[in-house]
Amino acid sequence: MSVAITPALVNRLHQAIGSENVLTAHSELIVFECDGFTIEKNCPDVVVFPQTAAQVSAVVKLCNEFDVPFLPRGAGTSLAGGCLPVGGGVMIVLTRMREILEINLRDRYAVVEPGVVNVWLTNALKGTGFHYAPDPSSQGACTIGGNVATNSGGPHTLKYGVTVNHVLGVEAVLADGRIVEFGGPSEDAPGLDLVGALVGSEGTLAIVTKVWCRLTRNPQGVRTMLGIFDSVDDATTTISEIIGAGIVPAALEMMDQGIVQAVEEAFHFGFPLDAEAVLLIEVDGLEAGLDLQRERIVELCKQCGAREVRLAADAKERQKLWKCRKQAFGAIGRLSPSYCTQDGVVPRTQLPHILRRIRAICAAHDVRVVNVFHAGDGNIHPIILFDERDAAQIKRVLAASSEILDECLACGGSVTGEHGIGVEKIAFMRKMFTPSDLAAMERLRAAFNPHNRLSPDKLLPTAGACGHEVKKPMRRAAV
Amino acid sequence: MATSVSSSLPTTHSVTPASQAELVAEVRAAYDASTPIYPLGGGASLDYGLPAKQPGLGMELTGLQRVVDFPARDLTVTVEAGITMQALTDTLRVEGLRLPVDVPQAAQATLGGVIATAWSGPRRFGYGAIRDFVIGIIAVDGRGEVFHGGGRVVKNVAGYDFCKLLTGSLGTLGIIAQVTLKLRPLAEATQICVVPLAELASMDGLLDWLATSDVTPSAVEVFSGPLWREQLGHAPLAAALLLEGTTSEVTWMARTCAEELRKLASGSMRLIPSDDVSNDWQAFLEFPAAEAALSLKATMKPSCVARFLHGVSEVEPAASIQAHAASGIVYVKFPQFPPGGLSRAVVGNLRPLANECGGHLVVLSNPSGQEMTPQSVWGSLGGQLAVMQQVKQQFDPRNLLNPGRFVY
Repeated sequence: MSVAITPALVNRLHQAIGSENVLTAHSELIVFECDGFTIEKNCPDVVVFPQTAAQVSAVVKLCNEFDVPFLPRGAGTSLAGGCLPVGGGVMIVLTRMREILEINLRDRYAVVEPGVVNVWLTNALKGTGFHYAPDPSSQGACTIGGNVATNSGGPHTLKYGVTVNHVLGVEAVLADGRIVEFGGPSEDAPGLDLVGALVGSEGTLAIVTKVWCRLTRNPQGVRTMLGIFDSVDDATTTISEIIGAGIVPAALEMMDQGIVQAVEEAFHFGFPLDAEAVLLIEVDGLEAGLDLQRERIVELCKQCGAREVRLAADAKERQKLWKCRKQAFGAIGRLSPSYCTQDGVVPRTQLPHILRRIRAICAAHDVRVVNVFHAGDGNIHPIILFDERDAAQIKRVLAASSEILDECLACGGSVTGEHGIGVEKIAFMRKMFTPSDLAAMERLRAAFNPHNRLSPDKLLPTAGACGHEVKKPMRRAAV
Repeated sequence: MATSVSSSLPTTHSVTPASQAELVAEVRAAYDASTPIYPLGGGASLDYGLPAKQPGLGMELTGLQRVVDFPARDLTVTVEAGITMQALTDTLRVEGLRLPVDVPQAAQATLGGVIATAWSGPRRFGYGAIRDFVIGIIAVDGRGEVFHGGGRVVKNVAGYDFCKLLTGSLGTLGIIAQVTLKLRPLAEATQICVVPLAELASMDGLLDWLATSDVTPSAVEVFSGPLWREQLGHAPLAAALLLEGTTSEVTWMARTCAEELRKLASGSMRLIPSDDVSNDWQAFLEFPAAEAALSLKATMKPSCVARFLHGVSEVEPAASIQAHAASGIVYVKFPQFPPGGLSRAVVGNLRPLANECGGHLVVLSNPSGQEMTPQSVWGSLGGQLAVMQQVKQQFDPRNLLNPGRFVY
């Protein structure tokens, strides 16, 4: 127990939401000690499973009354420690708020509870001609509430935008327990765009209990291509050329040789094992324009030295290609006992440079790296392989990771494109933002969360906790 | 140095900082003296919001209009906020790029003003609103502190999203000094398909069609009323579909529209070819700024647009209307100030209707100045208002930025 959880508080929680929805035994709490960022672990003191916004509000009010920290959690797939209960306290797990409340195709929105898993909405929309665009690789497990917290991306966000572009409104429980709706089914609500401020705030401003999701019309057609390259340089130059030519594909992903070999071993797609890199390129839209777009892309690939560009023969082959991409991280276990991945972003013209630097940095630190990433957005995910039993190697992995992110910043980029700051990257905030930027962020947090009981010690470096010191590299799930 | 743009505001004098540093110095001096500040772009939207009452300083941003960085091949641009929308458009066009957000009076309107008022034109249906394109922002808060959010890359989740917070904040949290935008390529071809409609039910039919057709217009504009006499001919209302893409895509969409919409159209459909688009299109961009005795903007579920338009015709049969119908956004122009005043037409009638339709209604412009109160202009914001006030208090503790003009 890291904070003073009194029997009186537990008793009141039982009364508020039912004892069957409250966990206090250590053996049950241990499941909630971390998310996908497994370096730092800390058990919450209590875990609650509310089923309504009113119950969330009741819990939050009790936490305030007893002066105990609290934080929300979805499926726990986040990768930066966003739902790590720093300092313990009450964890509000939203996975029992799992109803799709409304699907309105004519008005192009759906209303969901925060615990709805991303792919459930996708499945519920099958056959309607509409879809929910954000498609993180973890979509089979992650919740939409969690997507809102981290402003999740995914391969198809290149053309369609990230979560914030697809959230029309939220109902949220504020840090003092008030329940407030921001935005709703229509656009341009008067006043400040607090929906925009809440999305991506990593659970530090409010607890979202309902989401109005924008629905997107399915494209009439799609063409999926696999560009095969003998050099990483040629592949990254191609990405730059495609974007530079003003083509915005639906998705543009890169996998290098190391990851292709692991994926091939796992899924037997038929990837060429001798290629240094492959690009997974998808264009969608009107049938009338797709073949022309495909031709232009094939031409650009060839101009940049592609050995071959294959076209997915049918929907089945396309699905298999995407399965390989989205489950690539699962295949890494074949390469190494442990791995750590990063989430940097660079301007797209800097991709050839950053990939060369990643290779050089990892070579200098004598660690092995493979790459699979959202190339079209400039969002890199270098995966450094290691053995966590080797302490010296771990040090080198950390040094390399940090150097790669510094290089992203030097290129004018960011240290996180979609995973978030959480606790993992707090130390980088001072490198990305000035003291007055951070002070402004503190002020926004103070407006929503004045006593800082809601998810403390996240996202912003504070005077007391000058950033998180990472001691071990992290093992990771899908990105 | 005062210019005419600030004439409708109670400014005692104006300054035109030529750099971010000068802007900061001016705001700090005003903060020290507790002088209200009215940020000014091109003055295109000065009617928007409550009338300013406190005398103060006009802060003209037109001195900040440099293109800071235009890495065209990254499809981003960084500019100072005082650049006009026209100058921005011209700069981007050279590289085959654009910001697909259309505004009235583009030669006058500044990017900073467009962001502060969250102005998003007809193309928002196809491409998104202005908030979707701002990826980095630098602003000066009410104390004269510079802060930035986002960055120069298209994907970035580091820190709180000040780009969203400042978009639509009407200059009340910070004066926007510099912006980074994500861009789109210019369309190769553009056509407008104009569909005359006999009644609101046909318009509803057209929106129904949109949910099932493969045609993907970038904008769906519905228009009616005396201000559209020239474009309407004999039809009571009409829809204009903006078709953009490659030549083959636009040709296919135009043909498909002609086939699929024939039954809904009340007369012959008109296809305006690419070369003529800009002039005809201009009418749709300028309408929201057209002079009127009262201008309103309502938002709602798109399926309610017909119901709302019917409600408008009952309040004022001679009202002119433009709707970004597929986005559920309706602009209403009254030829005369409603006899029952705002309290009857807006507060008592059209706003409750917009609320029932899942949306909101705000007064865009009311030259009479009558009955302009927070309640009549913005409506009730419910529990959100207290949070907005807390945010305002944090960023502008002395309430110096555009005081009394926004929701708080």
